[in-house]
Amino acid sequence: MNERLMGEIIASMEEELANGIKKTGIKGNHVWMTVEQSVFPKIAGHIHNSWGATLVSMHAVDNRFISSDYKLCIILALKGEDDFVTLVTSVDSKDTVFPSVTPEIFSADWYEREINDMFGLQAKGHPDLKPLVLYDDWPEGTYPLRKDFAADSRVLRIPRPYNYRNVEGEGVFVIPVGPVHAGVIEPGHFRFSVAGEPIIDLELRLGYVHKGIEKISERMPYSKGVLLAERISGDNSFAHSLAYCQAVEALCNAKVPERSRFVRCIFSELERIYNHLGDVGGIALDTAFSIGAQHAYILRERVMDINDLLTGSRFLRGVNCLGGVWKGIDERGRSKLIERLVMVKLDFQEFYDEVIGTPSVMDRLETTGVLSYEAAKDLNIVGPGARASGIDRDVRRDHPYAAYRDLSFKVPILTQGDVNARFQVKSEEIFESISIIEQALSNMPEGEPRIDIPTPEPGRTAMSLVESPRGELLHWIVSGEGKPFRHKIRDASFHNWRAMEVAVLGNIVPDFPLVNKSFSLSYSGNDL
Amino acid sequence: MNDPLLAIIQAALILGLAPLVTGIIRKVKAVLQSRQGPPILQPYYDLQKLFRKSSVVSSDASWVSIITPYVCMAAMVVAALLVPVFVTASFGSLGDLIVVVYLFATARFFMALAALDAGSTFGGMGSSREMMISSIIEPAILLAIFSAALITGTTDLAGISQVLVVGGYDLVRPTLFLAFAAFFIATLAENARIPFDNPATHLELTMIHEAMLLEYSGKKLALMEMASMTKLVLFIAIAWSAFFPFGMATEVAILPVAIGLIAFLVKLLLFALAIALIESSMSKMRLFRLPNLLTGSFILAFLAVMSFYIL
Repeated sequence: MNERLMGEIIASMEEELANGIKKTGIKGNHVWMTVEQSVFPKIAGHIHNSWGATLVSMHAVDNRFISSDYKLCIILALKGEDDFVTLVTSVDSKDTVFPSVTPEIFSADWYEREINDMFGLQAKGHPDLKPLVLYDDWPEGTYPLRKDFAADSRVLRIPRPYNYRNVEGEGVFVIPVGPVHAGVIEPGHFRFSVAGEPIIDLELRLGYVHKGIEKISERMPYSKGVLLAERISGDNSFAHSLAYCQAVEALCNAKVPERSRFVRCIFSELERIYNHLGDVGGIALDTAFSIGAQHAYILRERVMDINDLLTGSRFLRGVNCLGGVWKGIDERGRSKLIERLVMVKLDFQEFYDEVIGTPSVMDRLETTGVLSYEAAKDLNIVGPGARASGIDRDVRRDHPYAAYRDLSFKVPILTQGDVNARFQVKSEEIFESISIIEQALSNMPEGEPRIDIPTPEPGRTAMSLVESPRGELLHWIVSGEGKPFRHKIRDASFHNWRAMEVAVLGNIVPDFPLVNKSFSLSYSGNDL
Repeated sequence: MNDPLLAIIQAALILGLAPLVTGIIRKVKAVLQSRQGPPILQPYYDLQKLFRKSSVVSSDASWVSIITPYVCMAAMVVAALLVPVFVTASFGSLGDLIVVVYLFATARFFMALAALDAGSTFGGMGSSREMMISSIIEPAILLAIFSAALITGTTDLAGISQVLVVGGYDLVRPTLFLAFAAFFIATLAENARIPFDNPATHLELTMIHEAMLLEYSGKKLALMEMASMTKLVLFIAIAWSAFFPFGMATEVAILPVAIGLIAFLVKLLLFALAIALIESSMSKMRLFRLPNLLTGSFILAFLAVMSFYIL
């Protein structure tokens, strides 16, 4: 199947591009192509545009001590198939320049800025190659993900200016907001340019909680890496640790027990439910509809309570382990869970009707913060935000993992792309998630929840995609000696933050918090 | 009736009850949201705490920032002297209802200036939004009170309530109800309540009134908060005394004063409950939809005046 696919892809290319392919390979549902640097952007663009593929990740690997160059990878997911194409090219260790992919694939923009920050590889032809994740006072010429940068080294901080987009005109004002906000939330800087109340430009500046997770992971044995993954983005702990475990399990071709695959689905969906409950409650709260908001928050608390009861952790930490899950769900937990879910379902229906039936709330949600299908497509938005703008993509269905192949569920798709559409998609997903858990509970086979897996051999590559509550999430690992040689993490928010810059245009400043809430993005997951 | 002593007692009552009313509204809202909520007396504790703290003023701020808390509080104290509460008496020789309305305007003017003064982002947004709202709501307030003045033939607030109480039900006309409705909407708008503004939010970008207070701290913040709470009670007192002063004492004797006092407390509680219920049952409106509701208030006030002549 994949050989045919690879043949078709290569056949569809112009001769000049096809000649640039140096080596190909197939591993599972992955097609690998090692290509010449000069045609790298064109081939990526061809597969992305002509084959309707989406960009999953673009990242670099410092291979200087093995093959004396840097490797640059692009992972593309093919449309409608559970197949991936990975393009690899080499970047010279002295010349550190490669042709930019951004002109071909717009959503490669932030990836190339990140690669520039972390590896010092410059994308030639990139429209605006300024820092993305590193602090403003990080010294130039120091690249944290290069192998010769020691993780515990201290660098001299030299402040330098950051070039914000400048909007000028009569009556145009700049509103700088953050990085420190009112309320207990993470830091991020928003720079609005407004003419009166309407927003004519918004520039995001993130990276304030950059922690060097990818670098830390390169020093951590796999078993400890699970704990690290759980701490990447607090409320997506389970999704991150699941992706990490699946990637490591794929590295050593381990097959986890059936029972653990179902248990993983159940906890993934519990995580989705409590996140979505928090989001829809937050949307109600930001319109100042506090009764509705509290209603959702109470439900969220109940779900987190059941998390605590089943696992001992409200945030589902310490559940995943390499080779399965530490603990299954026993008979008592199972009946508690079923009972609680029925209550949550009924109460959530009540909340939903309450919000839908309050005209003043609906007036705030409808037509606010519209993200068009085209914009969502170009920015490569993932998760509920994408599904509210008409993008029919869900990792659980398109690239099934854990036990999702054996469960039936609907992927809600709406096309309006406004705050209301995101509210509706999340609400429907809560009902779907409850149904998934009920199915998984009744189909869950008996057996051990985990097996011991061997330590992966060095030099292998594996990736895992997971549909986190915020959307598609990637862990990509090249194995080293008992720990990852390179661990690329890409949270859904890394794609989705840019949606904000587009969705708020033309809206008024007081509606910004509502739009922000409806996307519910992670700062920590983005900054890593 | 013009009685300085009674006016001072009534002003003291308004000032003393102001934090309580805010506390009650917060408590009712909390209970409706299935929360326990802070104690009813929490606003008193907050003020006490803030009055003990020193104030930080931005180095970019001018004298406007320094005097504004005193101007606002002084305006509220003077207004409190002019509003009858449980007995139809006030410091009427100081001024009538037009003076009261412009005392509020003075306080607002200085508050908006102070918000611009320190040059912070949110203050400027708060001022511009506040001015947009007040420019529409001020005529509505004046018209609404004028319709009561038309019925009673005086612009003195104590005089209005005196005539209404003595005249009794003969003077109750549709005009009063229309004007009361207009004034009620104005009360919500002027006191930064939902659907105009959210007093409980921490989102600076959506704030109107709170955005103007962001630069204040310590004693100065306490004064500004106290002024806002007093303003709410003043509006409630004006709403009842100008439109439905029934129960108010017209003479200084124990029984009528006791009845007047109880009637005032009941009315105060009713108003606070109404605000809490409205705040719990609807969301804040989009900023650019506010003029629709504000204009609605103006039209009600206008109809009130019209109906006085027609009916």
